[in-house]
Amino acid sequence: MGEITEFLTLMIPAMVPFLLAAQGTVLSGRAGVFNVSQEGLMVLGAAVGFLVSFKVGSNVVGMAAAFAIAGVFGLVLAYMTTQLRLDQFVVGLALYFAALGAAGLLYREVIGVTMEPPLIPTLEDKPIPLLSDIPFLGEVLFDHDLVVYLAFAISVAIWWFMYKTRSGLAFRSIGENPKAADSLGINVTWARTWSTVVGSGLVGMAGAYLPMVYTGLYTEGMVAGRGWLVIALAFLGGWRPHLVIAGAAFFAGMEVLALRAQVAGIGIPHQFVLMLPYVATLLVMVFAFRWARQPSFLGRNYDRESRLVG
Amino acid sequence: MSDTLTAPPSAASGPPAGPGQRPRRVVEALWLVVPYIVSVVLAFVVGGLIIAAIGRDPFAAFESVLTTSFNTRFGTIETLHKWVPVLLCAYAFAIPLATGKFNIGAEGQLLVGATGGVALGILWSDLPMVLLLPCVLVAGALSGAVWAGIAAFLMTKFQVNEILSTVVLNFISFQLIDYVASHVWPDRGAGHPATTPVGEGALLPGIGQAPPMHTGVLLTVFLVIVIAVFMRRTSTGFEMRAVGANLRAAQVHGIRTSRLAGAGLVVGGAVAGLAGAIEVAGVHGKMLEGMQSNFLILGIIVGLMARGSMLALPFIAFGIAVLEVGAGSMQRTAQVPVEMVLIIEALILLFLLLSDIARAKIRRH
Repeated sequence: MGEITEFLTLMIPAMVPFLLAAQGTVLSGRAGVFNVSQEGLMVLGAAVGFLVSFKVGSNVVGMAAAFAIAGVFGLVLAYMTTQLRLDQFVVGLALYFAALGAAGLLYREVIGVTMEPPLIPTLEDKPIPLLSDIPFLGEVLFDHDLVVYLAFAISVAIWWFMYKTRSGLAFRSIGENPKAADSLGINVTWARTWSTVVGSGLVGMAGAYLPMVYTGLYTEGMVAGRGWLVIALAFLGGWRPHLVIAGAAFFAGMEVLALRAQVAGIGIPHQFVLMLPYVATLLVMVFAFRWARQPSFLGRNYDRESRLVG
Repeated sequence: MSDTLTAPPSAASGPPAGPGQRPRRVVEALWLVVPYIVSVVLAFVVGGLIIAAIGRDPFAAFESVLTTSFNTRFGTIETLHKWVPVLLCAYAFAIPLATGKFNIGAEGQLLVGATGGVALGILWSDLPMVLLLPCVLVAGALSGAVWAGIAAFLMTKFQVNEILSTVVLNFISFQLIDYVASHVWPDRGAGHPATTPVGEGALLPGIGQAPPMHTGVLLTVFLVIVIAVFMRRTSTGFEMRAVGANLRAAQVHGIRTSRLAGAGLVVGGAVAGLAGAIEVAGVHGKMLEGMQSNFLILGIIVGLMARGSMLALPFIAFGIAVLEVGAGSMQRTAQVPVEMVLIIEALILLFLLLSDIARAKIRRH
């Protein structure tokens, strides 16, 4: 029992970067904007979140800064794809490179080369009163840092917006058929713009969480492909926020499993254990692309004056 | 998929050029070349403003970025040695892109290609060069093709998005080469995960002295011609371009599009794998962790900048190699971090995309 409790207690915070970034991806994806700059935005979010926290001394400000800078990148993506109708993948890749470059440049400029790597305080656990006293569940679910609760709250909020409100229904219709949505008086450009800005901001926050949660250190390779796995996660969850939560548990579980197996030393070279999350991703994608749904206008720009729609 | 990616905005779309149409051809050529010049200039202006904003001298920085490759023999050789993997990774991206598929896995294909090459280079290290060197290069290309083949298989059989599968395979390959370099043929004295050196016969011969240029450069020039002929003069090359230009039209005309897209990925993987083998045989003489450098990103940048023109790739790749070699010396002489060059490259790409819009607007008037 103790073993399972410990595993789940580690898994919940490991879900946070996946949750925040994947829900951000799903948000803009349901409006038809397929962002592929996640890896870069997470690296930039991690760098900016770390540097601002280090300079200001507040993780909250750091996280807000990461949200803001990634949101600006999202705005560029939205403008270039909705107004100028440039290819979404190409603009996304260009922004990925720009974000990677900006992250490296900022860290080098602010910190430079140091003997001792700078540290920021890690996020404190804030157990929820009463709920955290429940045996097992309390320990697993209600004894974490505030960002954990926030990530789950955002997931639920996005699900509520999309599936329980009238404007959410209109919003989802854009990703399925923007021409039909447009003819009903839904503002396609505005919906795509705000969802891409907010979605990218969430991806930046996901990156900022990484240096704040475990070590308080920023390292260059700390995002380690999570930005790409997040896209796989969005497909796996069929671009639906509630299924993405389950998918995030799977990805986080794999990550924790690989780390624990490495520590325990189970006789397999650790390289093969560290491959596990990626191999598992490849395997689940076979199922994801067979059976999971995706918005039919995902990744395609909408031109009101074009007849080629649908 | 927009046309600007897969089909170059080429002069060929106009009427056949007779003697009287020379001015028209010149004008069309200008429409092709001018956006590149404007984009590069604008990117350097914006980059210069950023450098000035962090309190460094942009002119000193750009001087060392642009001249390092040409000032010394060492710089020129280094540029050519960088040109090879950057260009091959650009092909690995651009060939699948011709069929409308995004290969973001050149990194993994390069590393697995290097693994294949280094395996033969170590196992058969006693063979003479005439036998061993071709084996090493072919093994590299085949290993890269197999690695990309996994993504191609998942794409054609299970509709798995190739962007995701190729990226995920990169991360698997990092662990794979770490395992090979620390368990199979480890060099314990290296202080860094690396394999033992390959046999003498596996090394590409050098040309000239201090420092020699490896013959992989010549091999790459040969490959440039082969690929250009393949894409322009063979029916498979034509079909690939047709699929990229208009998927539905190609299907209607009976082209087996999904098989072709899979083949494009495999060929791209083979080219990246060859790059890995050339890095082993020409530069490192062994396999080591981190040898993939940032070739994946540079290859994608070059592939996107070429906008579907296989002929433009070698020239753009050379320009990027110049910037990359200059980046290190910029950091030393002007104290501007190397990442500045990546930002400038991303800006060139963005301005190039914007130039399409500007061109369409100007031509309409």
